[in-house]
Amino acid sequence: MNLIRFYLDNGREVVGLVGQHLLLVLVSTAIAVTIGVPLGILLTRRPAWRGPVLGLANVFQTIPSLALFGFLIPLPFLGGIGARTAIVALVVYALLPIVRNTYVGISGIDPAVREAARGMGMTDGELLRIVELPLSAGVILAGIRVATVVGVGTATIAAAIGAGGLGVYIFRGVAVVDNTLILAGALPAALLALGADGLLGMLERRFVWR
Amino acid sequence: MWSLIALCSVALGCHKGDRVVVGAKNFTESDLLAEIAAQQIERRTGLTVERKLHLGGTFVCHNAITAGQIDLYVEYTGTAYTAVLKHEAGPGSDSVRQAVAQEYRQRWNLAWLEPFGFNNTFAIAVRQADAERLGLHTISDLARVAPQWHAGFGYEFLNRADGFPGLAAAYGLHFAAPPTAMDLGLTYRALADGKIDVIAGNSTDGQLAALHLVALVDDRHYFPPYEAAPLVRNTLLEQHPEVGRALRELGGKIDDDEMRRLNAMADVEHQDLHAIAHDWLARAVP
Repeated sequence: MNLIRFYLDNGREVVGLVGQHLLLVLVSTAIAVTIGVPLGILLTRRPAWRGPVLGLANVFQTIPSLALFGFLIPLPFLGGIGARTAIVALVVYALLPIVRNTYVGISGIDPAVREAARGMGMTDGELLRIVELPLSAGVILAGIRVATVVGVGTATIAAAIGAGGLGVYIFRGVAVVDNTLILAGALPAALLALGADGLLGMLERRFVWR
Repeated sequence: MWSLIALCSVALGCHKGDRVVVGAKNFTESDLLAEIAAQQIERRTGLTVERKLHLGGTFVCHNAITAGQIDLYVEYTGTAYTAVLKHEAGPGSDSVRQAVAQEYRQRWNLAWLEPFGFNNTFAIAVRQADAERLGLHTISDLARVAPQWHAGFGYEFLNRADGFPGLAAAYGLHFAAPPTAMDLGLTYRALADGKIDVIAGNSTDGQLAALHLVALVDDRHYFPPYEAAPLVRNTLLEQHPEVGRALRELGGKIDDDEMRRLNAMADVEHQDLHAIAHDWLARAVP
């Protein structure tokens, strides 16, 4: 009941924060895909890099967000306070599932398929474009889906570095011990996560070859 | 013989009356003062002390002590006055300590003992270099340059009754943009790295000096005094008056500089809390 009254009283602010939150997730996931998918493909071509790269992505995943922000604040281009720093942190957290799923998806393709394609005279680029990417699209999209859904939750930490988003209500609620405020941030974040999951699930089903 | 001793100790351990539970809020100074209080009770009374440190914020500790989950913790008069009792901050709160002591006794049967002797107020802090260059000493001086400056505050300060909105009104503070809301710990680093120009830290914090930051004087006395003192359940003091006697020995023993030094030992030099408390007690309250 309190929550409904809160939303009625603060409608404009809520909409603004939801918008900030979505923007943070969209931009960071887009950057993570742009970096992560090529990186995953690269790992299938250079298997020796697999250990160090995935290991590093694993380590990034374990850095507490406040510690990561602390490291980022003094950096010239990536750091400071505000949305940019938050996006850098969110990209770092989103990389692992995308890189790993791209690598696993492509390297899991039956070697016979790959050999048949080579036998037909395909170049490396053609092999990737015509055979490997379509066959692994389901697994890669599943990775992006995980990264997005987790990102909606993680983006609440953006409020710790002045980047706004729904975390503002959570941080404010924790600071003044107001459960309504905490819920006001947590509930829409959970709904956004469910929405993103459903949307990407539909996309996944459409893209996967059956 | 051994089994008899074991039986006695079990019997004593089960008897809640001979065990004192000490709580603390979730920051270094609160943990440190709780550890000092715990060791003082142990060495003066022989009672068993159980530590429940780093519990949470003011409200967690307040609920824990009123529910009897903890017997004592260290609270700040100004925080109790504004955040727990919901009184207005501002002028006329000189008698904060008396008012708080009286209301706590009546409403929750809790006793405020002798304050430790320091005032951990909000430190409106700027970089030392800026303060020297522009001759900033007071928050009134800050109001002069504020329109070109950016502030970053923790969520608690932005939302407390004795926090930013009242401060801005009292001093006519207007910054270049609304203050950035962020994690309190990160504001120190962001200020030191020049990303923001003003923060609201804690005046007894060990980090201020280490990062070359200075606190401006609250020349209009906006903030109430935040004197730290042990807050104890009266039922415990009645059962064990020796606990009250032991804790009163700590009254007035820690001034602002001493508290800053102790905090810095923990936060900057990363020394063990137990050892800091032990050494301080041996030296200051022999």
